Amino acid sequence: MLVKSFTLAVLLGLSHLLQADVLVIVNSANPIDHLERKQVVDLFMGRVSAFPTGAPAQTLDLQTGSPGRALFYKSLTGKSEAQVDAYWATLVFAGRMSPPKQLTNDNALIAAVTENVAAIAYVSPRELPASVKVVMELKSSQ
Amino acid sequence: MRLLLKFLILLPMLCSYVIADSGTGPQHRFSGFASIGLMSSSNDRLAFRRDVTMDEGSSDGDIEWSNDSVIGAQWNGSWTHQWDTTVQLVAKHRFVNTLENSVEWAFVRYRPVDGLDVRLGRVGTDIFMISEYRQVGYALPWTRPPHDTYALLSLYHFDGADITKRLDFENSTLTMKFFYGNSDEKYPTNSDSNSEIRLDFDLGGITLNFEQGNWKWRSSFIDVRINNDMVPELGTALAQFSPYWPQASKLASQFNTEDKHFTYGEIGVNYDNNSWWAQAEMVRLDSDTKLIPSGDFGYASLGKRFGNISLYGLGGYATPKEDVDIIQSPIIPGEPLLTGTMQALAYAAQNAFIGARIDQNSIGLGVRWDFAQKMSVKLQAEQFHIEPDGASLWFAVNNQEPIVKRQSSTVFSLTWDLLF
Repeated sequence: MLVKSFTLAVLLGLSHLLQADVLVIVNSANPIDHLERKQVVDLFMGRVSAFPTGAPAQTLDLQTGSPGRALFYKSLTGKSEAQVDAYWATLVFAGRMSPPKQLTNDNALIAAVTENVAAIAYVSPRELPASVKVVMELKSSQ
Repeated sequence: MRLLLKFLILLPMLCSYVIADSGTGPQHRFSGFASIGLMSSSNDRLAFRRDVTMDEGSSDGDIEWSNDSVIGAQWNGSWTHQWDTTVQLVAKHRFVNTLENSVEWAFVRYRPVDGLDVRLGRVGTDIFMISEYRQVGYALPWTRPPHDTYALLSLYHFDGADITKRLDFENSTLTMKFFYGNSDEKYPTNSDSNSEIRLDFDLGGITLNFEQGNWKWRSSFIDVRINNDMVPELGTALAQFSPYWPQASKLASQFNTEDKHFTYGEIGVNYDNNSWWAQAEMVRLDSDTKLIPSGDFGYASLGKRFGNISLYGLGGYATPKEDVDIIQSPIIPGEPLLTGTMQALAYAAQNAFIGARIDQNSIGLGVRWDFAQKMSVKLQAEQFHIEPDGASLWFAVNNQEPIVKRQSSTVFSLTWDLLF
């Protein structure tokens, strides 16, 4: 009975995450449990370089051209990848901010967030290891 | 320049210190941008150029490639969360093309806390809305920055420092930047020739950026103090004739530009809802010298995105604040040589003042196609009208034939922009 309840709870939790299109994740040791949309926008669009706690943040990104990257920025900001790249070019080549470090796939992002308490990344809905936690869920219609 | 050299010498020492202090490995990032641009201007009396730093242009329908073609490479070394270094090299056609001039930025940044940046070294000029990244074609919606406003902005970087402070509000952000530094560069005064003018100046200013939702507002104020006499020969010559020509000493003071000031006041707005975008900017230039005439400059642009295609229109103006002074030298009876010399000086002074004026307007249409990742092509058509006493942004094709009538020109531009 206990096993059934536990399984149900896990499935319910997973189905909740699966309703989202993108999960924003941080290291489980990060004291942040939840981020507002504006806070995530500020981090990934280079307006801020730290979490609301003041701790430095390291944004991690999928490589340009990845479907997951296009979905993330469209869901978060309404912008196409071309718009996002043009926007980042205004920051990078003005010497204002460094863009998020780009990795090849979701597993690489999860591994990088696991290793770095300052990291923040996004992945497609999936079962996540205990080393990371979800701080925001994004739906493409949002 | 001396500050830059000191900075470059101290840089490795500082970097080794912060690496040792951080306890974490540094991160290096390399990135770049490039544009290949072709343009053609129809007027056969005036040559169109991207800005006043260019000594080549297009006239009579000639296709010109050097104005809008550029390649830039940037290295960013992040030593800790607080210290990083950026160096940007830009290769393009320049009037004075040296390695030192190709160093667009070279600065150390200290970020003691998030929202406070201090940069020291060679930094970009955040004078107008897009002045810091105006060479990055992919970042611009147009083929080049709006000509009526940006072509006069000769300054790309300066050696000095800036401090940026960000203030966060519930749904908006205010960013303030203070900067101070020096620039010393030469600019062409004629097409494909060696005539030049040197401008050494200190500048200081403040910019405010306010962002809320789809809106960005900004304003800046910059004070520039000139450290040299831009045309010393003419000023000295005029001063010698002041006993016979009372106006000469006043004219000479206009050419003695050392310690003179000019200021830029700017306001700008940008709106972008990801479908429609609009941007407008107005600049007022107030100057103590007629060699940099006071004037008003501005542009407005509206665009609409259709997937990977964007269509846009733009229009701009540049208007001098003061009318042209008519300079007349006295006739000294019985002294034809003296009279003739003063007439020649009056003519030269008149030409120098008229040659510095900017009085033009333009309208244009364009299309941008983002055809691949980090690549776009743009095609733009503009119609310019230039007043005969306001063609400073253009070169006269033949200096022996003064421009006496209003001119117009159709300028077509095609650019391929990319990031890497």
